[in-house]
Amino acid sequence: MRKASDIGFGEKAVISDIDTSHPSSRRIIEIGFTPGQEIELVNKSIFNDPLAFALRGTVIAIRKREADCIIII
Amino acid sequence: MITQTAHSTPLVTLVGPPNSGKTTLFNYLSGKHYKTVNYPGSTVDYSVSKMQDKFNINANLLDSPGIISLIPASPDEEVSVHSLYKHPKYGNPDLIIATADSTQLSRHLLLVRQLLESGFRVIVVLTMSDLLNKRNFDVSTKRLSELLNCDVIKLDGRNGTGLDKLLNLIEINLNNSLLSGKPDTTEYKLDNSSPLINMFRESEEIEKEVIFRVASTKNISKADKELQILSNYQIDNTTIKIDRFLLHKYWGIFGFFAIMSITFTSVFWLAQPLMNLVDKTFGFLANFAQASLGDTWYSDLISNGLISGIGSVLVFVPQIIILFLILGLLEDSGYLARGAMLIDKPLSKIGLNGKSFVPMLSGFACAIPAIMAARTISNKRERLLTIFIIPLISCSARLPVYALLIGFLVPNHNQWLGGVILASIYIFGIISSVVISAIINKFSKFILRNNDNSSFILELPSYRMPKLSVVINNTVTNAEQYIKRAGPTILALSIAIWMLSYFPNNNPKIEAKGLSSEQVISLKSSERLAGSYSAQLGKFIQPVMTPLGMDWRVGVSLVSAFAAREVFVSSLAMIFRVTDSSDNLQSSILHSMRNAEIEGTNQKLFTPATILGLIVFFIFALQCISTISISYKESGTWRIPLFQVLIFTGLAYIFTFITVNGLRAIGIN
Ligand SMILES: Nc1nc2c(ncn2[C@@H]2O[C@H](COP(=O)(O)OP(=O)(O)OP(=O)(O)O)[C@@H](O)[C@H]2O)c(=O)[nH]1
Ligand SMILES: [Mg+2]
Repeated sequence: MRKASDIGFGEKAVISDIDTSHPSSRRIIEIGFTPGQEIELVNKSIFNDPLAFALRGTVIAIRKREADCIIII
Repeated sequence: MITQTAHSTPLVTLVGPPNSGKTTLFNYLSGKHYKTVNYPGSTVDYSVSKMQDKFNINANLLDSPGIISLIPASPDEEVSVHSLYKHPKYGNPDLIIATADSTQLSRHLLLVRQLLESGFRVIVVLTMSDLLNKRNFDVSTKRLSELLNCDVIKLDGRNGTGLDKLLNLIEINLNNSLLSGKPDTTEYKLDNSSPLINMFRESEEIEKEVIFRVASTKNISKADKELQILSNYQIDNTTIKIDRFLLHKYWGIFGFFAIMSITFTSVFWLAQPLMNLVDKTFGFLANFAQASLGDTWYSDLISNGLISGIGSVLVFVPQIIILFLILGLLEDSGYLARGAMLIDKPLSKIGLNGKSFVPMLSGFACAIPAIMAARTISNKRERLLTIFIIPLISCSARLPVYALLIGFLVPNHNQWLGGVILASIYIFGIISSVVISAIINKFSKFILRNNDNSSFILELPSYRMPKLSVVINNTVTNAEQYIKRAGPTILALSIAIWMLSYFPNNNPKIEAKGLSSEQVISLKSSERLAGSYSAQLGKFIQPVMTPLGMDWRVGVSLVSAFAAREVFVSSLAMIFRVTDSSDNLQSSILHSMRNAEIEGTNQKLFTPATILGLIVFFIFALQCISTISISYKESGTWRIPLFQVLIFTGLAYIFTFITVNGLRAIGIN
């Protein structure tokens, strides 16, 4: 099972599911990470965390730990 | 029709996702000048204003902090959601203006649809359509209006195009509300996430239907390529490219420090010409007043008390304005969100959050809005810790103090060196805040007791060329607040200190034989001071000051700085009776400081050691009553402000003691 935190730099992937047991999962969905949505890892901060994903016309930075609850195909 | 009562002025509330242009619109409608910033989370409290008279609509307008959904996740979002359902003073809104960024409709429609579902009467305002047009797309408000079943208009936040239509719609909707009463609303609830996911699916469909490509003669093939994936068509590639650099492992850190140090060093030298002007003016005024009023008490009150006291602080206002200007440029460019992202990891190690960055940065202007800005941090513990350390970030009230003291250390106007020292002071303040945060985080049981999920989820808005009018508006607003806050205190304290140091021994007898008139004046004023009320008060302070190598005169100034830090400067100016023949206020303050001796000895009072000690004192001491009260309000407990006062002021004294005596021990006097 791959997660958004495993995506390589500049790689695109489609979200298949969100792990709703994660405490941040509701916010992650509300901000636009939903199943079926394509995301692209466009940037990383120093120390490779947080990660910046392009989706739905904008770029959103989330921590690696939060990217863990985004499951990709 | 029901007769209108006093509080039936209809309420129009602006709601929308962070950074979607609510405050910009609020300013248009109300004629006010609230701060707009290219950062999601710039507004953290609601503000209410009447609509501008010229629009002829009787309504209250409420601006709220940005929310992503109707289920709040942080205190700033709670403010918005509360104001929607149970505002204690204004009740439920009659009408909601929901802003949505038209370049990211599928995300921003979520909130609109939640609002509609809860039963609110909504006008949707699509902002940023200029950016959409730039990418050769457009949006059909007519189709969107049909799909959502509510009014929809486009509005350009940069120039206000579309405002007329909006006003028209507001009027129609408010009349409607007068006839049918406030809409019935139910609080929005969610048991699980599947309704959210469904809503997003539907929003995507809506987005596909309403966004269309504008035929462009030139770039059609390029636009075709961009359209391949609809959801990615709006991403600003320049932004991503700039970020590759600014978020880079090495370049990013380099850039971060370069931006920070340029900010602080330039404060010093950019402001110099203006400062000279203010300085000369006040120096001239003080001399002129004294010369024309003669040797009387009122001449002394006007020249020494009012002109020198207030002028000595006003001299530094240009520096403060430059600081606000640079911060404003940073804010409007979009860099703030990147700064937050860059330091999220290091800050999370010491119990803070990347979102502490913006509060800390605005702490350079003033701790009060900075502490409020911490509302964007959802984790309570991280928020309290951010509030806790903000007083260590050197605010603009300390700038006059530092600048005067640096002027003492760096003579002959070496502005470059002055700038570097100022930057080091700021950096020292930041480092101290980080160290103290780490220590408190480690032994947090006493001060912080909460522990919940820590998260960092932040939109990185596109970079934009800062708009001059916006930056200037923000700077003026900031400067106005600064003067309003500090001005009256400085005025009142200048007069109070003048009185305390002039009376009761206002006409001392001295042996004037064989002395020049200038010597007579200076002898008179030192005699007068020695027998004054402030000297009597000073006796109590003296024992505390002796270990620091200073005397009661500095002590009195330090105590008066608890009313407002800038008062330290005006107090020094008055106590050391600066008016001499020099035509320049600042150099005459420095001149009398250089000559001052510790009372009863012939040891110099101000030396590099004591000056550095004073700088250290001001870095740590919490001398601001407004900060204490806002810290209580925002943290909801007295524990935080109490510890802040005790720890920071205690540390200030201890570190000043160590600095002064340590420097003396190694031979620096
Ligand atoms: N290009 C463009 N920029 C806009 C428009 N409307 C607002 N802006 C800019 O977008 C940024 C955010 O605007 P604000 O009015 O502060 O947004 P807000 O919704 O109040 O944001 P928060 O208070 O953080 O929730 C500012 O830099 C504005 O100058 C618009 O229609 N077009
Ligand atoms: Mg706002």
